[in-house]
Amino acid sequence: MDENLQIERLKQGDKNALYFLYDKYSGALYGVVLRMCREQGLAEDLLQEIFLTIWEKIDQYDPAKGKFYTWAYRIARNKTLNALRKSDPLIQTDDLGVYKNVREEEDLQDYEMLNGMVRKLEAHHQKVIELIYFKGYTHREAHKLMDVPLGTFKSYVRQAIKQLRDHYPLAIALFLICIEVIENG
Amino acid sequence: MDRKTILEKGLLLPYLLDELDEKERLEVEKVLAEDAILKAELNSLESSFEKMALENAVAPPSSIRKRLEDTLGAAGTTPDEKVRSIRPKTGFDGTRLLVAASLAALFALTSFWFYSRWQDAEENIRLVREEQQQLQKSIEVLSNELQDVQQLNGLLADRDVIPVLMEGNRLSPEARAVAFLNHKTRSVLVNPKALPKLSTEETYQMWADVDGEMINMGLVPTDQDLVSLAYIEGAESLNITIEPKGGSEHPTVERLISNVYL
Repeated sequence: MDENLQIERLKQGDKNALYFLYDKYSGALYGVVLRMCREQGLAEDLLQEIFLTIWEKIDQYDPAKGKFYTWAYRIARNKTLNALRKSDPLIQTDDLGVYKNVREEEDLQDYEMLNGMVRKLEAHHQKVIELIYFKGYTHREAHKLMDVPLGTFKSYVRQAIKQLRDHYPLAIALFLICIEVIENG
Repeated sequence: MDRKTILEKGLLLPYLLDELDEKERLEVEKVLAEDAILKAELNSLESSFEKMALENAVAPPSSIRKRLEDTLGAAGTTPDEKVRSIRPKTGFDGTRLLVAASLAALFALTSFWFYSRWQDAEENIRLVREEQQQLQKSIEVLSNELQDVQQLNGLLADRDVIPVLMEGNRLSPEARAVAFLNHKTRSVLVNPKALPKLSTEETYQMWADVDGEMINMGLVPTDQDLVSLAYIEGAESLNITIEPKGGSEHPTVERLISNVYL
């Protein structure tokens, strides 16, 4: 299925195109939102809101600037963080202690376990990815949580990204190249 | 700002995560629009994170899609006809995707097959080379042995060759050596294999007695099958002595171990 074509259709107001994108990405986005807010009811409401926002704001998405999923992820992340700030006014402050207590003290839920290639990374690299991508912490918040200097944290990030890239196998690249060729050819 | 600064500061990920402030974001976007390498870097980063997110997907309850459909349906934004009119194209995309997937799989499998065949061939060539080297060595050893046997056989079959058995005296009762004399070709060969081993500081040396004078015929190392020595005209006897390493000009008569009159 050509995602670009579906996005074009979505821009023209085709609901089925939205459902196509929902079927493809709702799991990934729900995984992120649920890990960030750790509350199923809220996560479900947020997921619906996210796709409504995608429906309403798809005109603002510019494929030249990046992939659709990245754009959708940003919407998901911002909406979730805003919802968390609203639900607890303390989070609005910069007091990381409160922030940490609110979002880290509960027991780890089943769905929070990371899967796939990221599991193959070393523990501290996994933690970096988890904090900034799945928990929505900024670099500045995350390095304090991990109790390492910001410079060290940034080099962890760099190493983690490199390893992630190296881990994804050649077959996927070949597959993507073939699709690219056929789509453009 | 340029590519180098963005990469050094590690700004691509914060950009992807929407962490940058408005000013920084616009600056990064400006460079991205002009720099294909940086854009490729971002694409790769996006792909990695997208794959990772898909691997960590959690299936939402089906009720959410239903709620979404209800909400949008009530809004009535799109006429159904429009949706139907573009449906056939979706099927076409499916076929193309299938073709792409098949081609990719075929390509990957073929590559892998060729790679394994290549590795097998390399291994076979290596084994054949090793075997060939071993055969070569065996041939060399056999060839040397054959030469010795032929030489010995030649000596024994030659009617002009006189074998002389040299036995050890009381100094070395177990010593045995065979000298092959050929007066016609004026040559002497000795088989020293049955002489007892000496220390590394000593050697056997052979002498010919001519008119009461001992004349040097040469050293007799015991690690050879046949030792060629100097033929001495008019020799009356053959003698073997033990000498210091490297041999002597005059025989050490006290260490004479064998003496045979001709």
